[in-house]
Amino acid sequence: MQITVKLFATFREGRFKQADRDYPIGTTVANVVDDLAIVPSEIGMIFVKGRAAEMDYVLKENDALALFPLLGGG
Amino acid sequence: MADTSLSPEELSRYSRHILLRDVGGPGQQKLKAARVLCVGAGGLGSPIIEYLAAAGIGTLGLVDDDVVSLSNLQRQVVHTSANIGRLKVDSAAERVAAINPHVVVERHALRLDAGNVADIVGNYDIVVDGTDNFPTRFLIADTAYALEKPLVTAGVLEFYGSLTTLVPFRRGADGAFLPSWRCLMPREPEGTALTCAQVGILGAVVGVLGTLAACEVLKLITGVGEPLIGRLLMVDIRDMGFDVVDYERNPATVAPKLT
Repeated sequence: MQITVKLFATFREGRFKQADRDYPIGTTVANVVDDLAIVPSEIGMIFVKGRAAEMDYVLKENDALALFPLLGGG
Repeated sequence: MADTSLSPEELSRYSRHILLRDVGGPGQQKLKAARVLCVGAGGLGSPIIEYLAAAGIGTLGLVDDDVVSLSNLQRQVVHTSANIGRLKVDSAAERVAAINPHVVVERHALRLDAGNVADIVGNYDIVVDGTDNFPTRFLIADTAYALEKPLVTAGVLEFYGSLTTLVPFRRGADGAFLPSWRCLMPREPEGTALTCAQVGILGAVVGVLGTLAACEVLKLITGVGEPLIGRLLMVDIRDMGFDVVDYERNPATVAPKLT
């Protein structure tokens, strides 16, 4: 199934801004994070189709997954 | 109610606002009547404080328990070398007075905690969050929601920043309540998030995000334009990218209760 993955801030470095990627049915957010070699503890926000999602969320065909790093400085 | 009439000096000082369609004299009077709390008088706080002071916010509350250090000065432009070692709220209050003597500054030289946050936040109309840690962000966001105070919140790191505006106690055009901070981040991150002290921050990045946060506050007060409600602005200074990402309220969200 095809998933649109959008990355922001530091997650773009060495990766991409947005890409349509194929994953097997049953793929979770955690699987995509692992596939992209993103350190889970660096993730601040996870959106699936504009709504906050958890790492164990099972993605569906044509879902848009957005991953944001923690930006906690002020 | 405070007198919000504008003196001849104020009419001249704020003439470029008063000329603006959708702001004008009534908008300037709303700014004068406003009480805004800025949490954090550091990198983000610097442009927030300076632009809100210059804009003629009537009362500006400043929260910060820290003192000015040499390594702050690369980005915290509200402070000067002469003020190293002084409380940031005192240093910033001096700057506000120099910019605009009409602004009343209320100094809170403390760290917000569960015991004091409601009393302080409850005393203002709008809160703008320029803090440097997630526990305080969650505390401010939950309290502002419970007390029904609009919250403008920003974060930065390295070359990047984020900004959004939260009014989760209001209903949108569809009649449903608008998103809260916990619709972005359901819970505090595990472990300790990276800080500017660990990985650095391009000084001007806080200028960009802090200035945008000040714009959001001014828009909320005057009613101009569309604030970043249900929209997260992500700024990537490396490639000068500005992305706006829509987000929705989690239907399970409930208003926090004050402890």
